[in-house]
Amino acid sequence: MSEHSLGEFEELVLLFVAAYNNEAYGVLILENLEEKLGKKVNISAVHVALKRMENKGFVESSYGGITGERGGRRKKFYSITSLGKKVLDRQYELRTSIYKQIPKISFGQ
Amino acid sequence: MKIQPPKIAWRFLRWFCREDYLEEVEGDLIELFEKRYDESPSMAKRRFIWSVIKYFRPAFIKSFKNVNNSNTVSMFKNNIKIAWRTLKGQPFFTFLNTFGLAIGLAGGLLISLFIYDELSFDKMFDDAERIYRVNIDNKIAGEVNKYAAVSGPLAEVMTKDYPHIEKITRFRHTKSKLIREINAVHNVKEDHVVGADTSFLNMFGLDLLVGDPRTAFSEKNTLVLTRSAAEKHFGLNDALGKQLILDNEEVYMVTGVIEDFPENSFLRDHSVFISISSFDDHDSPAWNIWSFPTFVKLKEGANVSDFQNYLGEVKDRYLIPWAMKTIPGLTMEVLKEQEEKTGNYMIFGATPFVDTHLHSPNLSGEFSLNGDIQDIYILFSIGVFLVLLACVNFMNLSTARSLKRSKEVGIRKTLGSNRPALIVQFLTEASLVTFLSLLLAIILAIITMPYFNASSGKSIHIPFEEPVFWFILFGATLMLGLFSGSYPAFLMSKFSPLKGLRMGAEKTSGGARTRSLLVVVQFAVSIFLIVGTLVIFQQLRFIQKKDLGFQKDQVLVLNDIGMVGDQKETLKNEVERLGNVQSVSLSSYLPTPSERGGTTYFPEGRVPHADAAIIIDQWEVDFDYAKTLNLNIISGRDFNEQLMTDSSAVLLNEAAVAMLGKTPENVLGLRITDDFRKESEKDMHFYTVIGVVRNFHFETLRNSIDALSLVVGKESDRMMVKLKASDFSETIAGIESVWDKLASGQPFSYYFMDDSFNETYKAEQRLSKVFVVFTTLSIFIACLGLFGLAAYNAERKAKEIGIRKVLGATVAQVTYKLSSDFLKLVAVAIVVSLPLAWFIMNKWLEDFSYRIDISWWVLVLAAFLAIIISILTVSQQSIKAALSNPVKSLRSE
Repeated sequence: MSEHSLGEFEELVLLFVAAYNNEAYGVLILENLEEKLGKKVNISAVHVALKRMENKGFVESSYGGITGERGGRRKKFYSITSLGKKVLDRQYELRTSIYKQIPKISFGQ
Repeated sequence: MKIQPPKIAWRFLRWFCREDYLEEVEGDLIELFEKRYDESPSMAKRRFIWSVIKYFRPAFIKSFKNVNNSNTVSMFKNNIKIAWRTLKGQPFFTFLNTFGLAIGLAGGLLISLFIYDELSFDKMFDDAERIYRVNIDNKIAGEVNKYAAVSGPLAEVMTKDYPHIEKITRFRHTKSKLIREINAVHNVKEDHVVGADTSFLNMFGLDLLVGDPRTAFSEKNTLVLTRSAAEKHFGLNDALGKQLILDNEEVYMVTGVIEDFPENSFLRDHSVFISISSFDDHDSPAWNIWSFPTFVKLKEGANVSDFQNYLGEVKDRYLIPWAMKTIPGLTMEVLKEQEEKTGNYMIFGATPFVDTHLHSPNLSGEFSLNGDIQDIYILFSIGVFLVLLACVNFMNLSTARSLKRSKEVGIRKTLGSNRPALIVQFLTEASLVTFLSLLLAIILAIITMPYFNASSGKSIHIPFEEPVFWFILFGATLMLGLFSGSYPAFLMSKFSPLKGLRMGAEKTSGGARTRSLLVVVQFAVSIFLIVGTLVIFQQLRFIQKKDLGFQKDQVLVLNDIGMVGDQKETLKNEVERLGNVQSVSLSSYLPTPSERGGTTYFPEGRVPHADAAIIIDQWEVDFDYAKTLNLNIISGRDFNEQLMTDSSAVLLNEAAVAMLGKTPENVLGLRITDDFRKESEKDMHFYTVIGVVRNFHFETLRNSIDALSLVVGKESDRMMVKLKASDFSETIAGIESVWDKLASGQPFSYYFMDDSFNETYKAEQRLSKVFVVFTTLSIFIACLGLFGLAAYNAERKAKEIGIRKVLGATVAQVTYKLSSDFLKLVAVAIVVSLPLAWFIMNKWLEDFSYRIDISWWVLVLAAFLAIIISILTVSQQSIKAALSNPVKSLRSE
């Protein structure tokens, strides 16, 4: 499992890639992240996470078409791979299984 | 596109970013930039730049390996490689070169940091360059004095009169205080306490850590502590509103805590700031109490000389009218006439605040000890010398070695290398050596920093975290490399390829003349430094050994004896009874330099004739004062406890007698008074002169001896104990137990008088230490150079020596032949530098009223040392060469 490790921030990015499968690209992920987290995120951080996960084989990417936007640069869209999905699932299972072990804790209200 | 992201950042990104990532990164950045641009253009730009910087990480940087394949770059690489090989090929010379340069650089670095620290004094305060300190310049009884503290009413008068003042603040000097919390038993002594105005914080742009800055100083009997003082007494957060007892009597409330002042500010020592209204005289109309340091911030664009002119008028407009009210019979005319006759004057003036640390001498009423711009100049020149010496060394060794490389130059030229290319090659080599030295220098500086701080009394650290520091350091090193590399580079690149290839370097004596000159310079500087060190040492010894007119040895001084309350006499008697105590005296006045005010006396029958007045120090002492200090009574007698009349007796010193125009014999019986404000002479209190003490040095030996009067008084806050030669610790323990009995819970603090005396000459001692260190360094560097040259010379002349030996020369003859060339150079250096050293050191000595003459043997000794050192350095190599077997050197041909 160690080679399939996923950092917390990477996991968030991967979730967005999965959520907007084939439509996800840098700025979109960044804006969603900022909205959900409620804090400023640097675009470079998103790119670093994406590149790292691409190297690990969790996501794959393809270029979109040229438009007049973005100074003529193409967008690079990311989609999740089956391995990426598996890792995500496993992570989710792990969390929920541990979460379920939590006994009912009363905080004495 | 209408809007463009910041150009430089963009270009930087395109330069470093991996091609396969670039389009995506650029696209996202531009999209974000455009979106953000609508919100705020500047924010968008900032974030763009920041993002670009964040991309500068290994994952995004392209490989530069095969990118820049241009000729310049590969030549540069080649040069570095060759330089490295050459350096490795001759480890001995590389070591001499780098080490010598590193020592020079390390010294230069330390000195620069020291100077930077000194120059940065007080500049951290708000608008420091618009702040001025008001001074008094005063000449009275032939003596000029300057005061950094002025009359109390001046601040108010200035605010009223002078429109260009933006802010004004006043301090009130006060002595050290014993402080304790209201229900604590033990006192803590705070040495540096000062009264501060309500405008104090605002003036210097200071803020309180806790407390309200607007009201902190507005109430009577309140005070503000610095962070460290607050932590000492009760911790930072609990301080506010606490009550403190000062000197066991007054209750004060803490209204704030302020950050500790930086080491390079005039308030660095001060820890307690009392509201100025706590002082009874804070609103007194008296103009003769000069205890209020006053600072003024002028409005922007205000004319300073206009302000000075205004201050010049203050005396006539305010001070004299006030004086006429208090001294009956005094008129403007009398005063003017008197000033004209005696040459006395008194004037207010202003000193720029940022100049007070370095450009103003230590005045009376200064907050902390000032530096001296002259020391800075001296240090600066030493630093320059040191780096220069190291560079000279470097040039010498490189040119000497270069002759060996004429073959290399010949081949390079034959293969088509032109002169500029060769110059670049040698400069690269030089720069490489300088950077190696820089590394070594930084390590040396880190190691020696603690010692440097300890001896210079500073707390400097190397600012590694400052980019500017690195920038300057690398810039300077590069310049140095180019500078010292330039001469060898130009010289070597000049070699003709034909000559170089045909016969090597044997005959070309490239740059020998310049080399000689450089050696002369090195030794001249070293000899100068030797003379300087010797003279400073002699002067310091002279000061320490000089008969001061009193005995400072084995005298123990106890501070703050006021803490025993009215049991001072008991304390004195108990201590006197201890074994090994010779005598004890109570007084506030010590014969060591400190701040004192003058007292005006009139002789009987001439009160208040201004021209008969003398203004001299008045010390209140007890009956055992002269005995304890071994003062020499040259006429009359000492105070006598048995005689009731001695309560109005006075002892004068010779200087005071001279001021009265009398001789030590006929002054006896003269009656003088300092009580001249009374209507009639009958009501005045007169002192009778009963004796004259020989002049003794109570100021530093830079000043001549001031006039002085000793009277019997009860006021005293110090006790002097003259000990018999014995084990002091036992006696001190005895005194401490007496102290604990009479003043339980109060701190027991004492020192030996000769220690405090030495303290006075700290500046000179520091200077002498600096001189010793840098003299050693410079001599060391010079020797490294000479050693290298001698080694090279011996190697170059190996054949000549071989032939000479075959023809019958003795070892001694050969050694002499090899060494004499260098000794000639040293001789020239001696001739040049001795007169210069003599002249400059005489100038330095002129600062002292009591000084040595530079004796001839100092100069001879310096010359002798230089010769011995150079002989030792050179001869080792020469003898080695002379002893070598001629067969070895001759066989190769």
